[in-house]
Amino acid sequence: MIARRHALALIAPLALVLTGFFLVPVLMLLPTSFGEYIPGSGLAKGVWTLENYLRIVADDYYREVIWRTLGLGLSVTLACLLLGYPLAYLIARGPDHWRVPLILLVVFPMMLNLVVRSFGWIALLTNRGLVNNLLMQLGLIAQPLKLMFNLTGLMIGLTHIYLPFMVLMLVAAIRNVPRDVEAAAATLGSSRMHVFAAVTLPLSAPGILAGSILVFVLTISALVTPRMLGGPTYKVMATLIYDEYMQLLDWPSGSALSFALTLMAVSIIWASSRLTRRWAGMA
Amino acid sequence: MSELTFDRLGKSYGDHAVVQDVSLRIAEGEFVSLLGPSGCGKTTILRMVAGLVEPSGGRILIGADDVTHLPPNRRGLGLVFQSYALFPHLTVFENVAFGLRRRKVTGEELSRRVNEALAMVRLGSFGTRYPRQLSGGQQQRVAIARAIAPRPRVLLFDEPLSNLDAQLREEMQIELKRLQRSLGITTLFVTHDQGEALSMSDRVGVMARGVMQQLATPEDIYHRPQTAFVAGFIGKPNRFPGRVAARAGAGGRLDLGGGLSLAAARVDQAEGAAVSVIIRQEAIGIAPGPAAAGQLAGTIALRAFTGARVQYVIRLAGGLELVAEAASRGPLAALEAGTPVSLAIAPEAVFSLPAEDAGA
Repeated sequence: MIARRHALALIAPLALVLTGFFLVPVLMLLPTSFGEYIPGSGLAKGVWTLENYLRIVADDYYREVIWRTLGLGLSVTLACLLLGYPLAYLIARGPDHWRVPLILLVVFPMMLNLVVRSFGWIALLTNRGLVNNLLMQLGLIAQPLKLMFNLTGLMIGLTHIYLPFMVLMLVAAIRNVPRDVEAAAATLGSSRMHVFAAVTLPLSAPGILAGSILVFVLTISALVTPRMLGGPTYKVMATLIYDEYMQLLDWPSGSALSFALTLMAVSIIWASSRLTRRWAGMA
Repeated sequence: MSELTFDRLGKSYGDHAVVQDVSLRIAEGEFVSLLGPSGCGKTTILRMVAGLVEPSGGRILIGADDVTHLPPNRRGLGLVFQSYALFPHLTVFENVAFGLRRRKVTGEELSRRVNEALAMVRLGSFGTRYPRQLSGGQQQRVAIARAIAPRPRVLLFDEPLSNLDAQLREEMQIELKRLQRSLGITTLFVTHDQGEALSMSDRVGVMARGVMQQLATPEDIYHRPQTAFVAGFIGKPNRFPGRVAARAGAGGRLDLGGGLSLAAARVDQAEGAAVSVIIRQEAIGIAPGPAAAGQLAGTIALRAFTGARVQYVIRLAGGLELVAEAASRGPLAALEAGTPVSLAIAPEAVFSLPAEDAGA
């Protein structure tokens, strides 16, 4: 164990940077979020109000955006999990000489800039994009499918972008499942399917949870991809906040939304780390 | 409970044969150990029996059933691992119940049999704990209970005691042997520890480089080794380069150089052949005082107290040094360095190995 004194020394550089450049600026927004916005002139002096927060809960439009954001986070997480687990299992348990090429393949897209990748998806998904043209030429559809500016487009783009995070977390988790424990289950009468369901899956649960938290939080706070694939109309919380600040110049409302988003992310991380502790405590 | 038979069992990876043509029959209720250095193929055999490794040749039979190509879950075996391999996410009770549930045992009978198995390993009150809350010895006992609870036809042990400390290991040896006797389950036990193999087994199979060297009772393995490898592997050997000086019947005299020669009860090599001479430390008799005619003379060079025994490094005439043992109480317990001694070495404790086998 590292002594507490040394632990503090190790954490100090990062803690200083985060405090100075993240925590303090964010906290400086806190008063703003209770301020009143007067269109045309900005922040009203000396006025404090809960209006900005109440509106998030009361306003139908804001509520819709919040639910949409959470739904998107959940579906992207689920999609990453379903697509990622088999791949992670193959990487962790497949032939040794496949491991490095497969991991490179997973990591490779991350070397490409986010904007470039999102543009790539636009080229593929627009009404006259590659996918729709191909399907129409094959005669499978008569009208172009609506693949952009809606949930489908965002899901495709975000799943693609966050899949590597999920896979890397899962590979580590699956590799941590002892082979002997699986062999023990097999000798006790478990079929391959049952070994997976009764041993491999529960023992990789901490990795599933960690990967899911990561993807969920990244998804609900993603800005660039939703902006590009969602367009000006199909908004999630991050793009909404951006517009409140940059286009409407309604800083109080933007700040309140920011804090709401942060609160959601933090409470989800808190809840799932409690879950992980309960599960992983046994692992 | 059934007999376990290997018929010319083999496993190779590419050109490299890990196990070669091992045939053996373990009688119903018998306890057989496979003993050998790491890499000798003993664990591979065990994993083939369990169905975790596919044999390259030969057959495995449990009773009259050919199980060579059955998956592990349909062999009806109990396997205890060196790493315990308990299910960390299940309680002790559920660990032991795992195999029973797979056999559709439920309700009252399930809890009765789980508790019975836990009582057998003296962990009756530990059912609600998780494996991480137990010590290593307790975890291994849970693993044993888990393996015996479904009443397997054959029990397999893969170095189950290697991770335990010395005292606990000896305790567990006795406990395990008693348990196996009372259950009467056919048992295959794999280990690199000769003490473990000799003390627990009805028969011991010594393996080297994938080949079964000798399969016999512990007494025969120790006192009547059939191959040079077994002679050199069992017991605590002194090794010297030497030469066969003369042959007489099955035995002969071995020349150690420096004017020293020893009688050996069994010599397989031709006269004049270069050999490795093995002398068991525990079979050397020490007597203080100068040597009489026909005895080896030496002086104590070093004394090491090891508890029940004292080890002496003895320098012989001609500069050879050998290690001998004596009880740590009694007249031989405290010989000073420089004391002249005479050595009596029984011809049965002297073996000659082909020189190239000496390193094994």
